[in-house]
Amino acid sequence: MTSWTQPWLARIPEARRKQIGLTLLIIAALLFPILHDNDADIDSMANAAAYATLALGLNIVVGFAGLLDLGYAAFFAIGAYTYGLLTSFQLEPPWSPFWEPFRQVGLVSQIAGDSGGMAVHFTLSFWIALPLAAAVAAFWGMVFGAPTLRLRGDYLAIVTLGFGEIVPIVVRNWSDLTGGAAGLNGVAAPKLFGWSFGVDATPYYYVAIAMVALLIFVSLRLRDSRIGRAWMAIREDEIAAAAMGVDRTRFKLMAFAIGAAFGGMTGVFYVAKLQTATPEMFGFPVSVMILVMIVFGGIGSVWGVVLGAFILQLLQSWWLKDLTTWLNAAGRLVHSDWLAHVDLVPSIELIFGLILVGMMLFRREGLIPATRPQAALSFDQQHAEVRRGGFKDLELEGLGGERRSGETAMAIRDVTVRFGGLVALNKVSLDVPVGSVIAVIGPNGSGKSTLFNVITGLVPAESGAITFHGDELTNLPPHEILKKGVARTFQNLRLFGNLTVLENVLIGQHARLNTGIAAAILRPRSTRDEEAEAQRWAMQIFGIFGNRLVPRIGQMVTGLSYANRRRTEIARALASRPRILLLDEPTAGMNPAETLELAEQVKSLNQLGLTVLLIEHKLDVVTTLADRVYVLDHGEIIAQGTPAEVRQDEEVLRAYLGRNAQAAAAGVAVNA
Amino acid sequence: MTTFDLLLQQTINGLSLGAMYSLLALGFTLVYGILELINFAHFNVFMVGSFIAMGVLQLFGLNGQEVILTGLPLAMVLIAAFAVTMVASGALGVAIEVLSLRPLRNVKGPAAMITTIGVSYILFNVVLLSQGADAKNFPNPLPTKRFQIGGATLDLRVILIWIVALALMAGLYVFVQRSKMGKAMRATAQDPEAARMMGVEVDRVIVTAFFLGSALAGAGGLIFGLYYNFTSFIIGFTAGLRAFTAAVLGGIGNVPGAMVGGVLIGLIEAMAGQFIATAWADVIIFSILVLVLVFKPAGLFGRLAPQKS
Repeated sequence: MTSWTQPWLARIPEARRKQIGLTLLIIAALLFPILHDNDADIDSMANAAAYATLALGLNIVVGFAGLLDLGYAAFFAIGAYTYGLLTSFQLEPPWSPFWEPFRQVGLVSQIAGDSGGMAVHFTLSFWIALPLAAAVAAFWGMVFGAPTLRLRGDYLAIVTLGFGEIVPIVVRNWSDLTGGAAGLNGVAAPKLFGWSFGVDATPYYYVAIAMVALLIFVSLRLRDSRIGRAWMAIREDEIAAAAMGVDRTRFKLMAFAIGAAFGGMTGVFYVAKLQTATPEMFGFPVSVMILVMIVFGGIGSVWGVVLGAFILQLLQSWWLKDLTTWLNAAGRLVHSDWLAHVDLVPSIELIFGLILVGMMLFRREGLIPATRPQAALSFDQQHAEVRRGGFKDLELEGLGGERRSGETAMAIRDVTVRFGGLVALNKVSLDVPVGSVIAVIGPNGSGKSTLFNVITGLVPAESGAITFHGDELTNLPPHEILKKGVARTFQNLRLFGNLTVLENVLIGQHARLNTGIAAAILRPRSTRDEEAEAQRWAMQIFGIFGNRLVPRIGQMVTGLSYANRRRTEIARALASRPRILLLDEPTAGMNPAETLELAEQVKSLNQLGLTVLLIEHKLDVVTTLADRVYVLDHGEIIAQGTPAEVRQDEEVLRAYLGRNAQAAAAGVAVNA
Repeated sequence: MTTFDLLLQQTINGLSLGAMYSLLALGFTLVYGILELINFAHFNVFMVGSFIAMGVLQLFGLNGQEVILTGLPLAMVLIAAFAVTMVASGALGVAIEVLSLRPLRNVKGPAAMITTIGVSYILFNVVLLSQGADAKNFPNPLPTKRFQIGGATLDLRVILIWIVALALMAGLYVFVQRSKMGKAMRATAQDPEAARMMGVEVDRVIVTAFFLGSALAGAGGLIFGLYYNFTSFIIGFTAGLRAFTAAVLGGIGNVPGAMVGGVLIGLIEAMAGQFIATAWADVIIFSILVLVLVFKPAGLFGRLAPQKS
């Protein structure tokens, strides 16, 4: 920013600036109905606020968890009808003593029924309905979410679109319950201490603003917690998230449920305000409008989606009308019949379409991007201090600490993996003793990475067993395997690209942290301590790599060099406090100096008492590190032994160099 | 009518709907097979196609259902209508591809899909604002000759629709299987990177897929008009979703699968309308969509293209 505001704004610290901005915003929001005493405008603002809460809810699902939901309006409808049915005259079951206790607490009242007898009239309080509808919508969020869990992103979109269509159809056709296409009428207005809100817009405005404030707060707290990090991990790379201990099913359902709960609450508010509900209020266009709001404001950006919702709602209810009035007046002035009668208001959906396309083509990050550009590193920070000899001075309590006792840490027995007709692993058996470094080598395509995938639960084993310190790992889900202390890196790097180095490593600790939804939102002392400890642990882990990562912890990993990405992945795995570290070609793409540096760091980790299973092509790395080497070829173990033994094994030479080259290779082996 | 007559009648109706859905499903399948993109714009390319077709027929002085043509004039008018509609719709599809999707080719995530939703919305609202919200009387020069088969009625125009749809689908199938471009398309669907290295111009393949898919959607729009005698700005959404379900049912990316899937969805819609209730037909079709995606994502006949990651 190089505007005239910079000199004096820059003097205020950023935290202070944010505080002042927030205070001014709150004051403006509170004073608006008093300063601008126009019922229609206050009403528009209340509607805009309601859409802001919807946008916040959808943002949890789409922005945080990366699940593109095109039927979000369904939850809006579910909340709306929950409140509508429990306060209108739609349902009037005959009176029976069963209802008496409910009458005592004011949930129902007794009225004269149509057929002469007494009937029940539901009179649920608005304030009880808000959490109730949130719960009902959350339930349906999970019901609709469950079948989509295994679907890829684009299929998810179409299935949610289907659900979004089914809900209004059900509402329309099930007219005994919902009043059908005619909708519900006579929905009760909210009451506060006996005073009814009626049709005056101001009280609704304040309720809506309070809801926006609450949901912004909840969104921000969730985003900056273990929960939010787990969602973003799923968004960035589902497989890696699972391998780092995130229970995908649980966290996806949680995102659906919380997003739906926001929608359900808004539904209650919206229907209470309109005092009517029809199926048309919740169709596909509404889902798209909310999507446009978050795309416009910035997918994943809490303040962005609120801004987007307000701008688009006010565009619809204020600015297009004003513009139409001006154009019509101008048209009369210049005697242009078309201008005098043009009406811009119906073109709002066209504008939505243009916004979607325009934002995607020219500004995908939205008005207020969820991630801010990072400042460049200083020269000193970029200057890597190459640390040779590993790290001897570093204290990493809670990592390793296991003595070489001769016991087996991981035992792999006769594991077979088949992809269709291809046998990727054929009865592979392998032992990893506690505190050792075991290397697996073999030509490309020999099944090394498949071995890691089957250990970490990413591919199922057809037969055989894998045990780890006596626990069965075979066919456990990946996040359970991580919990047991098995952490891995990936050959082709699976970092969470649009997150910072620090966030990546914090996600690595997911399984070791406990913060749940309530703790994330309320952030009690225990949660704050846990977060502080998680940060401290992450910084300790970064220390392993000298100053390679420390200056870059606030940077997006997409901007890192290849070697630093490898280091970040190792740090992420270490952050989970594993008992065994699985490294899949950790030095691939590194130059000889970097390779040596990393090899020594792995050595130091092992000396701390961490068991390592290593896939590596660089034989000098294998020779320095490994206690024992297994050689895989065509999915079978063809040789094993110390690095020196394996080097001279004829089978190994044949596998690497081919049969015809065997004679030549024999010569090489003799010289070596 | 006996139950058997009803069944027969609904089979006839279902096959006609199915012919339309098949044509539309092919567009989804062609684009998805190559780009792994659900093209929501396709919904309304179909709708715009029916409006283009209406314009062409009106150019021949046809209005409503009063003028009935036979013989050579009918053939000429139909050929001209299909040709112009398909070329114009195809061009629309190509324009969408080149202007709004090509710049996003290497962008990960849902950006391209969101763009197609936006384009779909633009098409929808441009037609709504320029043509108005009321349903349009679609010119129909086909003779209203009917045959009685038992208690069921078979309309001559229905037979014509079947013939045209079958011919178009057979043409597409032969093109994809036999032509050089078709081979390039299949190669790109398997692996765009490898195809590019083998000298396939991937951008041209994608443009061709959009052209063919959109042209078939345009033909579907014309058939919709001839079948229902009306068109409207809203026809794209429901027909599009059903056709998408058809493509998924047949195995998305699978050309013959889309044809069979379309016919199945048409039959299901007709039967559900007759024997359950029209109001629930959509719920049934969406449920099929969800069930297939969850339990058999490869569809009835499997995807021909491998899933790219």
